[in-house]
Amino acid sequence: MTGPALLVLSTGLPWALAAALALFDGRRPWVGWLAAAGLGASFVSLVVLLFRVLYGEPAEVVAGGWPSGVGIVLRADVLGTVFAVVSVGVVLVSFVYEVLGGVRSRTFPALVLFMAAGLSGLFLTGDIFNFYVFFEVSMTAAYVLVGYREQDYQVRAAFIFAVVNLVGSVVFLIAVAALYHVTGTLEMQAVAERVSQVNPNSIIVIAAAIFAAFALKLGLFPFHFWLPAVYVGSYAPVAAILSGALANIGNYGLLRFGGGILPEELELGATAVLILGSASIIYGALQAISRKQLTEVLAYSAIGQVGYVLVAVGIGGPVGFSAAAIYAVVNSLNKTLLFLVVRLRGRLVGAAFAVGAFSLAGVPPAVGFVEDCRV
Amino acid sequence: MILAVSLVVAIVFGSGAFLVLQRDLLRVVVGIVLISNAATLFVIAAGHTRGAVPILTIPGEAGSQASDPLVQAMAITALVISSSVAALLLSLIYRIYTSHKTVDIAEISEAEAREAEALERGEDLEEEEEMEKRPR
Repeated sequence: MTGPALLVLSTGLPWALAAALALFDGRRPWVGWLAAAGLGASFVSLVVLLFRVLYGEPAEVVAGGWPSGVGIVLRADVLGTVFAVVSVGVVLVSFVYEVLGGVRSRTFPALVLFMAAGLSGLFLTGDIFNFYVFFEVSMTAAYVLVGYREQDYQVRAAFIFAVVNLVGSVVFLIAVAALYHVTGTLEMQAVAERVSQVNPNSIIVIAAAIFAAFALKLGLFPFHFWLPAVYVGSYAPVAAILSGALANIGNYGLLRFGGGILPEELELGATAVLILGSASIIYGALQAISRKQLTEVLAYSAIGQVGYVLVAVGIGGPVGFSAAAIYAVVNSLNKTLLFLVVRLRGRLVGAAFAVGAFSLAGVPPAVGFVEDCRV
Repeated sequence: MILAVSLVVAIVFGSGAFLVLQRDLLRVVVGIVLISNAATLFVIAAGHTRGAVPILTIPGEAGSQASDPLVQAMAITALVISSSVAALLLSLIYRIYTSHKTVDIAEISEAEAREAEALERGEDLEEEEEMEKRPR
């Protein structure tokens, strides 16, 4: 199969399947397994795409057959594809976990598929407004998913999550419009080329708005207030999806917009980024130690982990960016594992938890240590 | 014109932000809608040029007279997203209302604190019973 076909398949398949499965009762096992099969197919096509990209065949497709520069561009490069593979993989694992345990809501499979479609779309797009649209697709699915199981506190967590993240989305939309205004294009590469010719003052304001929007999504230190309530409130597989897949949006956004499109502004604000990152690490670690409930510890440690990513981004350069990317990937896998095993008991589960926790803490034999060193 | 548009955006965004910070959840949703609309206005203002309707066959000179079609496409996309999310938020509020009979965030927190306390007391009772059952 060709690269463009894989690119379209990885986003389009879960999307079409989600629209179809929304009509059926998601509590039936066959609906769940069909959705899992669709997610699996999307995951496999993303993995194949990743190998192709790694061997130097970046895929690019312009939607609707428009000439390049007019139509919306979908592009697979290494950074985006890696994040897409990890996120869709995390969603797949969490979803299979839930299907094995029995789905309780008729809309759950369709929502998870919509989220996977939005995630792979936003990591593979080459257009900043399209990024915003896919981002909203996956976020809207997430708002509903936080309220999954419909306990009172879960519905309230969903409300908090939705309101806070909507404000972040709006700030991002304003930044996108402003970027369009100053550069006259929405295509990421063209924006990156033209940004250097624009009046620096306006670009700094835009960069600050983008940073604030992604920091809010990530739950970085001054913007963290919503995160513990939501992670603790939501049901375990949903929390795994939130911390393993959805948090990647913020990491990817910081890398793509900070490192890819606005590198000069990132250098300018490096000190602020480093300070915020360090504050986030310290705050997250202190809060995590002082908590008793396991999910709460994980939620606060998520704030600290984001801080590490931010510090790596702040250091910048090829080393910093690759460290940030690898750290984000490893962290999302760890978090998924931990959130999924929190509710279970048993020796094997204990071992899995220990692996995840050691990796998170950076104990030598585990992968996390490599990343801590690089950071 | 730029000044007028930016003033409108600022006022709408400001009132939206004020409403988001209220205790009444319905006001929070209205605030979110206002903020989204401020963003939509900003999107339109970002490509603000006056001209003919941007359809494919432009009478006269091609390109020179038409207003920017891209911002209009972006604005309508943003409108669709914000209206659907507003509907979702309202349904969440209705769900909260059916269980608490109020949409005031302070009253809801109080009710939840009471529930949590009751739950804790219940658990404590169970633990005590277990302690009693245990052989000395």
